Amino acid sequence: DSHVQYERVGADVTMKCGSMDWDAAVTWTANGTDIDESHLNGSYLILKNVGLSQSGQYFCYEGSSWHLKYQTNLRVGTPPKEPVLMCRSNNYPKGFYCSWHLPTPTYIPNFFNISVIHGTKDMVCEKDSPPKNRCHIKYLQLFSTVKYKVTLTVTNALGKNFTTLTFDEFAIVKPDPPESVVAKPVPNNPRRLEVSWQNPSSWPDPESFPLKFFLRYRPLILDQWQHVELSDGTSHTITDAYAGKEYIIQVAAKDSDIGTWSDWSVAVHATPWTEEPKHLTTEAQITETTSVSTSSFMAPPTTKICDKGAVVGS
Amino acid sequence: MAAADSPSTALRRRDLCSRGIRLAGKMRADVVDLLDAYVEQQGLDASASVAAVEGVPLAAVERWDEQTGTQRLLENLAAYRAFRALLAQMLEEQREQLGEADAGLGRALAAVLLQVSAFAYHLEELLRLESRGIPGEEEDGPPPPPRLSRFEQKLRGLGVLRELAHWAVRSVRDLRQLAKPSPASGAAPGLAESP
Repeated sequence: DSHVQYERVGADVTMKCGSMDWDAAVTWTANGTDIDESHLNGSYLILKNVGLSQSGQYFCYEGSSWHLKYQTNLRVGTPPKEPVLMCRSNNYPKGFYCSWHLPTPTYIPNFFNISVIHGTKDMVCEKDSPPKNRCHIKYLQLFSTVKYKVTLTVTNALGKNFTTLTFDEFAIVKPDPPESVVAKPVPNNPRRLEVSWQNPSSWPDPESFPLKFFLRYRPLILDQWQHVELSDGTSHTITDAYAGKEYIIQVAAKDSDIGTWSDWSVAVHATPWTEEPKHLTTEAQITETTSVSTSSFMAPPTTKICDKGAVVGS
Repeated sequence: MAAADSPSTALRRRDLCSRGIRLAGKMRADVVDLLDAYVEQQGLDASASVAAVEGVPLAAVERWDEQTGTQRLLENLAAYRAFRALLAQMLEEQREQLGEADAGLGRALAAVLLQVSAFAYHLEELLRLESRGIPGEEEDGPPPPPRLSRFEQKLRGLGVLRELAHWAVRSVRDLRQLAKPSPASGAAPGLAESP
């Protein structure tokens, strides 16, 4: 007979060769390799303090006839630790999602079961397709003071564990970061930068559930951020930028009444407008020199005086 | 269906709604502060679950987005009238057992009560704007509450403040819905229609 056999890391494992007697002559292989006689006790295979590397296909053959008498797929692993569970609403007021992971791998298949209870009501959690450990819950009620209780149970062949989260509807509201952040210099304004962004596309109804924003910016040469909070609108003009310095800019979002701030958006860079250095073309130089005494004229290194039409720096 | 809005009515509604949103936002901030102080001074557990307390209007609502403007206003008004009575009662109970430590709490309670009354009046203004009849207050007011133990009073107070904090958020959202220009005319929808 053949089956899967789960054993804990560190366990001692004894395998019988199917229905063969203890004293029968047999041969054991692991993943196609003969196992040394030192691991045998009669026809029994003895594996001490098994490790992950000993997972694999084990076969037992009758000594002389080489008939296959026993086969097993040994899976060495660990029982699950308490899973890490997180619930969040990034599309309020539509619903929220819960996602989870195990703090350490178990090396064997795990099965997750999640229950979401609101007061006395069991709520459906629509699971994403594997391997995503996530499921989605639709709000049936809004503005409820009754807490949500989410229990996640994880089971595998070697054990079981669970974790529970209890939270208030408002507490888990956390939008995604703002999108399409753009920063541009403002022509003729050496100390201004114009920043614009969009509501996260996952936020369903910004009109009824407006977001407020937090902008942070700093010149690359400094570590200290400057911050400004904006209660509406999706653009802002920075008016105190250091002239000529490249800036890094990020934006975060929050529901204007409840919940917590989003993560920071992707960073964008911009440098305020700077006046173009004056490049005098050859013609301009000649007209310049007739009005100025000829002894003070210095031609830019790249221009030949009699080369008609040559433009410096083009 | 309400008669199509005149521009002045729509403008007036928009103004009342935005003032109401600010009032509810301030009220929520004060209620949250009061709730923290209340939990601490009454020696309660902030995470304690409080069963629905009789007579306390629940902020929780299903299919909120399908409500008409009139429903929103009428439900808000009924709730804040109830809170006005509940807070007045809490204040009275507070004064009966007034210790020095509770004086500050009493003042904070009175301040929130004032805001609740102002907000209720604001809602009545909005209903009057729509020439909606203002539902009369129950003449003899809510039925006298059952005699509660001191601890039960504290728990009820916790339930009242929690619901009020959630109602304030709901009211902000309701007023935003009311202030929304209706897709067709671009003017705020009549109360009956606004989703």
